[in-house]
Amino acid sequence: MRLLFINNDGGGFADYINVTEGMTVEQFFKEQMPGRKAEDYLIRVNRQPVPRDYVLQENDRVTLTPTKIEGAQQ
Amino acid sequence: MNDKELVRAAGMIQQALGDLRKSRYLECMRQLNLFACRLQDLTRESRKLGLAISHEWPAASEQCCKSIDSQLNEIPYSSSKLQSLLDRRQKEVPKLSLIVAELKSLQEEFEDVEFKGQESSLSVVTEPITLDEVYFGPFRVLLALDKLGELYHKIPYYVIAEEPHPAATDEAITHPHVSNEVLCEGDGAAAIRAALEEGRLCDFFSLVRSILNTYNPDSPYVALSDWDGVACYDCGYVMDHESSYYCSHCDNAVCDECSRVCTDCGEVVCGNCVSHCEICDRSLCPNCAKTKCSECESVCCESCLSDGLCPECKEEMENEDEEQETQTTDKTPDTNEPKTTIVGR
Repeated sequence: MRLLFINNDGGGFADYINVTEGMTVEQFFKEQMPGRKAEDYLIRVNRQPVPRDYVLQENDRVTLTPTKIEGAQQ
Repeated sequence: MNDKELVRAAGMIQQALGDLRKSRYLECMRQLNLFACRLQDLTRESRKLGLAISHEWPAASEQCCKSIDSQLNEIPYSSSKLQSLLDRRQKEVPKLSLIVAELKSLQEEFEDVEFKGQESSLSVVTEPITLDEVYFGPFRVLLALDKLGELYHKIPYYVIAEEPHPAATDEAITHPHVSNEVLCEGDGAAAIRAALEEGRLCDFFSLVRSILNTYNPDSPYVALSDWDGVACYDCGYVMDHESSYYCSHCDNAVCDECSRVCTDCGEVVCGNCVSHCEICDRSLCPNCAKTKCSECESVCCESCLSDGLCPECKEEMENEDEEQETQTTDKTPDTNEPKTTIVGR
């Protein structure tokens, strides 16, 4: 099953990836972001917040945005 | 925003994204020209080196080698900058409907979303930001749509404090990572650029908000510990902790101008605690100011005391000693004068 995955952690790449049918958002997060905590991210599917047990559909757009990003001084 | 405003805003954003795509190609051209110029400079230096070698001019040859070395050091930077522009896969400018969807999503993510067509700006207001118990208030993140095409030269958005609580030492710094309304993106730079290039407005504003909600203690404009500064005990000037001195007697903070250094022990003292040598007027700390002339009890520094006396008392004592010596000399008989001898009859 194909999804558009936008990972705003680091380079902010957006790309199509293949995942298993019936995968939930929670499972998807654990697979794509091993060792990270879901509460440290804004997780949106098709631009909407969804519950962790939401089952992903074909062509869904999943966005992960960290809630904490370190700035700097120029 | 109502539906009409949404469509109008989306149209303007779509136009701006189109301009941005063009500007990427222009920037590629510009960087390529710069890179080509560098290669031409290298070719020129190479010819010079050849000439210097053929004439057996070692000093000129060395000079050429240094110049070539310096130019070669610039090549990796120019090359990587060019490559990062070329590597970007071409993104289609999003359809109007997708941009409208982005704007609707933005309105759900942020409470206050404002589009000003005449000013070509789209802005959101964050919730009040507090970092380590230091309050900064809410910030307006304003994207200047007419400047989006300049993304490869400068940041096309501003971060404006709605309830400014700037650093005590610099009004322009309203957040540890914001100076003059410009955010230093740090780790978020690449993701912010990608979000803007692809028209993912909600992601862009969310990323900026995430940076505002994070304190990086390794690289702030002003550290949180220095945010409210410290006031000089003597003159009230507000300074950061690194610029302040602390009186060794009362522990109050003083600025560089008001701090005094004890001439005898080198300790820093404030204007309130400082004493002065009554002879040379140099500064003394309260402890060293206990040193006094044993005769007149004037407060003296070590260098003005001689045998425990101030210069005046020392001179007086020396004068007295001289006088005493002189008087003693007058009373003693002179054994060198001839004696009168009475001879018997």
